[in-house]
Amino acid sequence: MPAETLGEQSPGSQASLATMPEAPDVLEETVTVEEDPGTPTSHVSIVTSEDGTTRRTETKVTKTVKTVTTRTVRQVPLGPDGLPLLDGGPPLGPFADGALDRHFLLRGGGPAATLSRAYLSSGAGFPEGPEPRDSSSYGSLSRGLGVRPPRAGPLGPGPGDGCFTLPGHREAFSVGPEPGPPGGRSLPERFQAEPYGLEDDTRSLAADDEGGPELEPDYGTATRRRPECGRGLHTRAYEDAADDGGELTDQRPAFPAVTAPLAQPERGSLGSLDRLVRRSPSVDSARKEPRWRDPELPEVLAMLRHPVDPVKANAAAYLQHLCFENEGVKRRVRQLRGLPLLVALLDHPRAEVRRRACGALRNLSYGRDTDNKAAIRDCGGVPALVRLLRAARDNEVRELVTGTLWNLSSYEPLKMVIIDHGLQTLTHEVIVPHSGWEREPNEDSKPRDAEWTTVFKNTSGCLRNVSSDGAEARRRLRECEGLVDALLHALQSAVGRKDTDNKSVENCVCIMRNLSYHVHKEVPGADRYQEAEPGPLGSAVVSQRRRRDDASCFGGKKAKGKKDGEMDRNFDTLDLPKRTEAAKGFELLYQPEVVRLYLSLLTESRNFNTLEAAAGALQNLSAGNWMWATYIRATVRKERGLPVLVELLQSETDKVVRAVAIALRNLSLDRRNKDLIGSYAMAELVRNVRNAQAPPRPGARLEEDTVVAVLNTIHEIVSDSLDNARSLLQARGVPALVALVASSQSVREAKAASHVLQTVWSYKELRGSLQKDGWTKARFQSAAATAKGPKGAPSPGGFDDSTLPLVDKSLEGEKTGSQDVIPMDALGPDGYSTVDRRERRPRGIGSAGEASEKEPLKLDPSRKAPPPGPSRPAVRLVDAVGDAKPQPVDSWV
Amino acid sequence: MSYIPGQPVTAVVQRVEIHKLRQGENLILGFSIGGGIDQDPSQNPFSEDKTDKVNGWDMTMVTHDQARKRLTKRSEEVVRLLVTRQSLQKAVQQSMLS
Repeated sequence: MPAETLGEQSPGSQASLATMPEAPDVLEETVTVEEDPGTPTSHVSIVTSEDGTTRRTETKVTKTVKTVTTRTVRQVPLGPDGLPLLDGGPPLGPFADGALDRHFLLRGGGPAATLSRAYLSSGAGFPEGPEPRDSSSYGSLSRGLGVRPPRAGPLGPGPGDGCFTLPGHREAFSVGPEPGPPGGRSLPERFQAEPYGLEDDTRSLAADDEGGPELEPDYGTATRRRPECGRGLHTRAYEDAADDGGELTDQRPAFPAVTAPLAQPERGSLGSLDRLVRRSPSVDSARKEPRWRDPELPEVLAMLRHPVDPVKANAAAYLQHLCFENEGVKRRVRQLRGLPLLVALLDHPRAEVRRRACGALRNLSYGRDTDNKAAIRDCGGVPALVRLLRAARDNEVRELVTGTLWNLSSYEPLKMVIIDHGLQTLTHEVIVPHSGWEREPNEDSKPRDAEWTTVFKNTSGCLRNVSSDGAEARRRLRECEGLVDALLHALQSAVGRKDTDNKSVENCVCIMRNLSYHVHKEVPGADRYQEAEPGPLGSAVVSQRRRRDDASCFGGKKAKGKKDGEMDRNFDTLDLPKRTEAAKGFELLYQPEVVRLYLSLLTESRNFNTLEAAAGALQNLSAGNWMWATYIRATVRKERGLPVLVELLQSETDKVVRAVAIALRNLSLDRRNKDLIGSYAMAELVRNVRNAQAPPRPGARLEEDTVVAVLNTIHEIVSDSLDNARSLLQARGVPALVALVASSQSVREAKAASHVLQTVWSYKELRGSLQKDGWTKARFQSAAATAKGPKGAPSPGGFDDSTLPLVDKSLEGEKTGSQDVIPMDALGPDGYSTVDRRERRPRGIGSAGEASEKEPLKLDPSRKAPPPGPSRPAVRLVDAVGDAKPQPVDSWV
Repeated sequence: MSYIPGQPVTAVVQRVEIHKLRQGENLILGFSIGGGIDQDPSQNPFSEDKTDKVNGWDMTMVTHDQARKRLTKRSEEVVRLLVTRQSLQKAVQQSMLS
């Protein structure tokens, strides 16, 4: 058992959790297309040709599928003049500001009809097979170009060099998505997908992404994957007149999904690269069949410095793609000093560049290897990210920034850095607004509900990680104005709406638990409330509190404040400290009213991490010798929390059992609790011991920490309570304990068990019945001896001696057992435990790309290291913005 | 209001609070909205008022659908808007000048 010194799980263990292995379940690329199944979406594609005509095609997709899009970047085929082949027509100026946006909001994969004229004629074939894709993937096309708002208008004149694969872009758009049922739309041209001298891209094995519920339907994110199936299929963006298909972009779906020609960005960049570098190997030789070559990593990084902004943006997007699930690339990027480049781009004047750079950073910051995280810190990444968060109104960017921060926060050296630079911003920009908490609640309006947005989830995950960083971190978070209030409000909102299984709730409870750790020592003014020992009820130090049915006394929250009146009743025998004003800020951590919140979570949630955290919070709050702990312990009883906890002892999940056992142990510092727990919990506790000694089925073996926690709890309740000791006997605890001592592989378990036995033996009154059952002192002693030492105490400072002040025991309660505070540090995007539990519905994963981790996580039976969560996929190529509509749409609201 | 994309914008805003009406099963506001960043701004049907925030939700970079959704949330009976108007902006500027 970790000593109390850390109430938190050792960072080491957390860190390992935090840095999720790059399991295929982790999806880093944001390009996930997810759509709620069954949500009909409508895509409109617009192509504007340079002569100013606009074609608008609307496709209605009635079936939404999850789109996994693979993107392969291809170079623009070069014509004889070395410039990209353009099929007639002036090249677009995609990189002219704003020009791109117009054209590339291809949605629903407009059929060739949307191709610009030149390419239409080329008879390119669309890729076969893609199922109807939701428009989002197509939207990605436009995203690729980084322009969001479509503007109807002629394609601007492109740069004269035409090297920017403009035509390709257009093509790509039109081609990419294969919208709707084939019959539903006309596909005049079918592109012939054929490999074009493309090497297999085996870079990343994209995992299957499963969208999460958080993903808004509007949000198309195409998962970018590069299936090793190679680039066999391409979406031929356009058909080059000269050849049978320069495919510019390869969007290759891993399965017959539509591919979104995401490569626009790449295209452009490739084009420029091509022009600059002229390294297309086969260009010169085979004009007819241009060969494509993906840019090498140094080239991509060089493009990050290219003067033309869209090239930068595209390069960053491509970089993100390359980094996806590829530790080697990530490492190389760092070695090639790519990280400072990206961090610098976070301050770039163009939004698109910033967004892409952030997406790349997100992927780069994710992973087991912490060097990238350190490198990002070294080049000032954290303040840059926070700046970007403050400045950004775009939700996607905010998600990327917070996702990156979440990734970074799992790395211990960065936690304080993040707190220093980002705590205020994260709290005020994200937590407070999304929680629904209002600083000055308007009396007339009802309390707002929390919005469980992805940004909130990421931010709460980040704060969860940093909250585990020790006393100073806890102090900063506690004193951050509005943070605790907002978190509490959000949790209450979740309970009110019965939405307690999601990841954001989990994160919030974990933060609360962490901040509850050692409150009795760390909060300002704590010593005022110290008591000599946890005394009987009503012996509290302070003066009588005026009871008021005033919500404000309980924290000033407008929350579903029905508890006010009821709370008063709970304290009829307790003297609460006099409050002159409502509790706020960190004081809310230990107001007795939080008890009801935690108990509600324990009752309702099915998320094991949330359960563990809520029990952990109660454990933390019940520890310590101060007045508030006394109230909390009594309140738990009065709120009928004890049965809730006892029931959770039956949980199949180790960590939950452990947290609950320790909570019960601390709660039993209250005498009445002790009696009750002794009566009602003994059977369950003994059952757990029995399971430890003789697991009913393989794999059901409890972990050592859990067993020790249970044993300590038993020990606590049978100490100084003859009745409870008797209950233990009646529950047939003795045989189980003796057997455990004999059979256990763990020294700690054996010690703890024998400790209990000795305590039991010390009751002379029980000797009679013990001996009647055949137990002799010798047998007990031998059990103890086996455990190496008569006083083998499970915790330091063995208290066999019942005259030891209870204080020690309470401290022990904190220290021993697994965690007082379970920092749950690593469970950030790097340690996403949401999905890992089998039982847990992998909701947290939500949004783009993270879903992919679900599968593997589900199979992971090991609790210890919940597979690292996905870092939110960084790039969402599909613009969240809806379709481009040439005619204004208005709605009646 | 001119602005540079990507840069913060300052604007004069007016707070408006609207209580939704109940019409049948729905709560309606009673007006139409147009625009959205996915729409062509040159063809905005109602260009006068722009909405910055709805109940705390940022509206400066939303699509039409998103805007509509945020205004029509069932759970909210009151919609608090921050709107900007050209005329408002001008009026404030003039009053500041004079």
